[in-house]
Amino acid sequence: MNISVINLKSYLRYTSRLKRAILLIVFSTVSCLFITDVTHAQNRAAMQKRLQAAKQKQKQWTPPPVRLPEAVIKKPTKPVISVKKIDRGTAARQNVTDAADAIDTILASEWSAADITRSEALTDEQFVRRVYLELGGRIPRLDEAKTFLASSNKQKRIDLIDDLLTSPDYVSHSYNFWADILRLKERPDQQRLIFEPYMDWVKQSIADNTPYDEWVFAMLTADGKIWDNPAVGYQLRDRGMALPYVDNTVRVFLGTQIGCAQCHDHPFDQWTQKQFYELAALTSGTRDRDFSGKGGGGMSSMMGMGMQAQAGNAKKLAKELNEARKKREVPANALQFLRLNATSVNFKPTALQLPHDYQYDNGKPKQKVDAAVLWGKIPEKYKDADGRTKFAGWLTDTDNRQFARAIANRMWKQMFGVGIVEPVDDFQEGNIPVSETLLEHLTDEMLRLKFDLREFVRIVASTEAWQSRAIIHEPTAAEPYLFTGPALKRMTAEQLWDSTLTLVANNEWAFQRPSAQEVETVAAVDLGTTQFDDFMKIYKAYNAELGRAGYSKKIRSVAGYKDQILVRSSELPLQTLPLSHFLSQFGVGDRDSIQSRSEGATVPQVLTMFNGWTTHTMLERGSVIYDNVSKQKTSTGAIDTIFLSILARHPTVSERGMARREIETAAQSPAAGCGNLIWALLNTREFMFIQ
Amino acid sequence: MFHDRYAKCVEDRHSRRAILSGIASTLGVSLVSPWSRMLEAADASKATKAKKVIYFYMGGAMSHIDTFDPKPDRPDIQGDVGVVKTKTPGIVFGEHMTNLAELQDKLAIVRSMTTETADHSKARYWLQTSYPVLNSIRHPSMGAWIANEMGKMNPGLPPYVLVNSGGNGHPGAGFLDPSLTPVPVADPEKGIENTELPSYLTEAVFKRRLTLADRIDSNFRKRYAGYQLESYNQMYKDAVTLMGGTDLEAFDLTKESDEVKERYGSSKVGLGALLARRLVEADVRFVQVDYGGWDMHNDVATNMSTKGPALDKALGALIRDLDSSGLLNETLIVLASEFGRSPAINQNAGRDHHPAAFSYLLAGAGIQGGAVYGKSDEKGHGIDEDPVGLTDFNSTITVACGLDPNKEHFAPNGRPFKIGGGGDPIYDVLS
Repeated sequence: MNISVINLKSYLRYTSRLKRAILLIVFSTVSCLFITDVTHAQNRAAMQKRLQAAKQKQKQWTPPPVRLPEAVIKKPTKPVISVKKIDRGTAARQNVTDAADAIDTILASEWSAADITRSEALTDEQFVRRVYLELGGRIPRLDEAKTFLASSNKQKRIDLIDDLLTSPDYVSHSYNFWADILRLKERPDQQRLIFEPYMDWVKQSIADNTPYDEWVFAMLTADGKIWDNPAVGYQLRDRGMALPYVDNTVRVFLGTQIGCAQCHDHPFDQWTQKQFYELAALTSGTRDRDFSGKGGGGMSSMMGMGMQAQAGNAKKLAKELNEARKKREVPANALQFLRLNATSVNFKPTALQLPHDYQYDNGKPKQKVDAAVLWGKIPEKYKDADGRTKFAGWLTDTDNRQFARAIANRMWKQMFGVGIVEPVDDFQEGNIPVSETLLEHLTDEMLRLKFDLREFVRIVASTEAWQSRAIIHEPTAAEPYLFTGPALKRMTAEQLWDSTLTLVANNEWAFQRPSAQEVETVAAVDLGTTQFDDFMKIYKAYNAELGRAGYSKKIRSVAGYKDQILVRSSELPLQTLPLSHFLSQFGVGDRDSIQSRSEGATVPQVLTMFNGWTTHTMLERGSVIYDNVSKQKTSTGAIDTIFLSILARHPTVSERGMARREIETAAQSPAAGCGNLIWALLNTREFMFIQ
Repeated sequence: MFHDRYAKCVEDRHSRRAILSGIASTLGVSLVSPWSRMLEAADASKATKAKKVIYFYMGGAMSHIDTFDPKPDRPDIQGDVGVVKTKTPGIVFGEHMTNLAELQDKLAIVRSMTTETADHSKARYWLQTSYPVLNSIRHPSMGAWIANEMGKMNPGLPPYVLVNSGGNGHPGAGFLDPSLTPVPVADPEKGIENTELPSYLTEAVFKRRLTLADRIDSNFRKRYAGYQLESYNQMYKDAVTLMGGTDLEAFDLTKESDEVKERYGSSKVGLGALLARRLVEADVRFVQVDYGGWDMHNDVATNMSTKGPALDKALGALIRDLDSSGLLNETLIVLASEFGRSPAINQNAGRDHHPAAFSYLLAGAGIQGGAVYGKSDEKGHGIDEDPVGLTDFNSTITVACGLDPNKEHFAPNGRPFKIGGGGDPIYDVLS
């Protein structure tokens, strides 16, 4: 330690705040780290004296204020999300083991037929990292990794799997998975719609572990306003696009692509344009405006900017708003707010016609289409239901095996990185399953589990195959990939963000997206009675709370750090983040096309890892890794802490040697050396990839 | 430094393939080799060919009727967006294209584009790579092909830059070398961020950190050596080179005067076009500028009133600037979108997806100014004359750059591919 306190003081006056933080590490960590193992043994007493002296000096100097937000530093005292319990009884666990064994047996016979073998079994260190990342969406914290590694309990792996599956981490991670598939974004339709209620509902459904078939059925049949019945968000995501809605729904839930047939017979697959229209005829008549008269006062049509409200109070309100808008007395968003309040999903069966340019022999242009499903039949119990319910009933029925098959394949891919059929949303003759036995077995399992997706994940995570070391899956390789271990994956953008946060924040949940109820409280207007002045009052309050600026201010006041908002990726208002945000850089989906996330490498990603916010936050007082390293009394302790925190493993002998040389000799101070080591580990491929 | 490494990687690849091509030539096919490239370059010198490309991609699908293929005789189709006369009698553009109307003699318009799918992401992939999405291979984007074939002009800068995008969902280098992945610039005003070391860090310490990371990571990299890690190893090298270079100023829009910025406009496409100009001036080979927001299912006229003028202003200023600096003689400008929008106006006063007919624009090096190629039908719904598919169009770009559109290039899995997808180039728009 070369910098005397006096020098430090005068130096600080001229340096930036950032430098101060660094120097602070130098200063405070040094007091602990200065005692290296060697010197410790050599001259304990002398070192103690120096330690005392360093502490003395520290007292004379007031540290700079901690800049990480308070809410991020403080550990939460109560559970942030309540998650449905899992049955940990002996019988339930035996079922999981048996089910996992059955999968392993199938895989073993596939491997022996192909003359290949399973990848090596995961060590505990490799397991703890993977299971946290793949079930919880983040790396384990230091204490979590230590506790697991130290435990001699034979059940510790299944214990951890169960712990994770009942944690907020699982909810957050699964939410990100579905958000990419369902294209969840806060304002899907510029300012008109508000999707927080729907997004929160998706999260809650995961926390409650709602059976998948029920969940999908609810989305396909939901009526009402977004805060009364948030599941309507699914329908509203394709607002005004009745045919793409059918295309997207079949693609997401049945893994089948009929989109081409919207305009012409499918060129490579079996689907005809007629079939597309027959299926679409079932849901024809789904509307998103309030036609019922309840609340809306009988509004029958509100089109575009014209707002032709035709009845009662709402009509009057719309007219007044329009006039005020023309005089620029109210912002355009106030009109959008009125439209939001008039948005409500309902179904009034409407005939569907073939397009005016229909060109095939099996129908005439503009001919009325009779509804029909793509395969199988509509279940008896929905015989008298309306078309929309029939569609949902057919799609999610246990007799519709493709529904179970598609989700089994999708969840398998989520765990192994590659589907048994690829792409997971394009089952067709040309895309052959690499193992039909496995695919059909998993489909049976999905049905046996009554679409309990969490239990399915629990089983897959318990297989020997999944608990094997990752292998490289080259999509262009000649030999098919037969799941001898999960495919090597780069962390998703969300996993990287949440893992980084794990190293910084004791509380990654300082902010959570508002619920349906919270939105309703500020957004709901009774259009049947509310007058102009009151409407504008509600609008202003709504805007202050949930408008772009108000929302952003609120979240930043809780969890803002420089340009960043330090909360879990699942809670971040993605749409308001700049394109250069960490999540976008690392390929988070655009939430406009289905499953658009990507894991490709770019130069800006690397520049962020080099010089971006991540490095700086780690070096702030109050950051998790800063505090954990500062507590260490020896350089060995510091090195182990850093390795366990970032890579969830102990260093090898040679790595420890390299790290020690850096900390004790090469760096200008032990603390700076620790900083360099942290930086180095964050910039390894080992950190970025899941092995 | 960047150049040396890049040249070496090209050399390695070529020496690898030179051996292969010996074998392949007996089979009557050619492989990518530096020798054939030199021969081509000699051929190409006869006509003016593009050395650089600025490629505007209008994400969301731009309406052809409201831009380059209006139907003023059909008010039901034309809707609320009017038209503007161009220099040539009888040729009109959408009303917001005033600058481009004046520059029409420098533009080639293709009015008979047609594609296979109305799915945004699939159509975009097809457009950018000339091939449909396939599960078993990732095709290179046009920029990667061109950078690969024509090499790097400025050793200190990446050959391929993608503006107004984080790079997600872009096919990038495909199966070509990862170094050909475009460097994304999400925000033109910020340029490439995080290129400077924190003030407390010396270069020596930075190097030591890198070495430490490399050493600790060596076991992992050995065990998992493959395309995924390799692309990251490459990006780490590229990032270090870029940080050490002196050409980063090309990315700095603050070097431009307010007057210039005013001419391009403050829209994303305006800033993107301005950055593209700076980059081609600094000898970047291929610049793609993204400008999204064309998915106008609702209220097309209102939406066009902001998007249209922004695009027109940006493109107009760029063409004028490149023309006066002489760079237009060596720079190809392309404007493309994944498909068009329906002639019929829907109940929300918008236009829906329409892959059957739409329009593209070309200008600059290798292009016949003033050309109008192909014809959509009276409604702008289908094609009446000279349909042009995506591969035809991309092959036209290939030829404009002096490359052979019929040459087969082999992917690592042995499958043959052509730059532009093996379509028929539109010689009528080529100079």
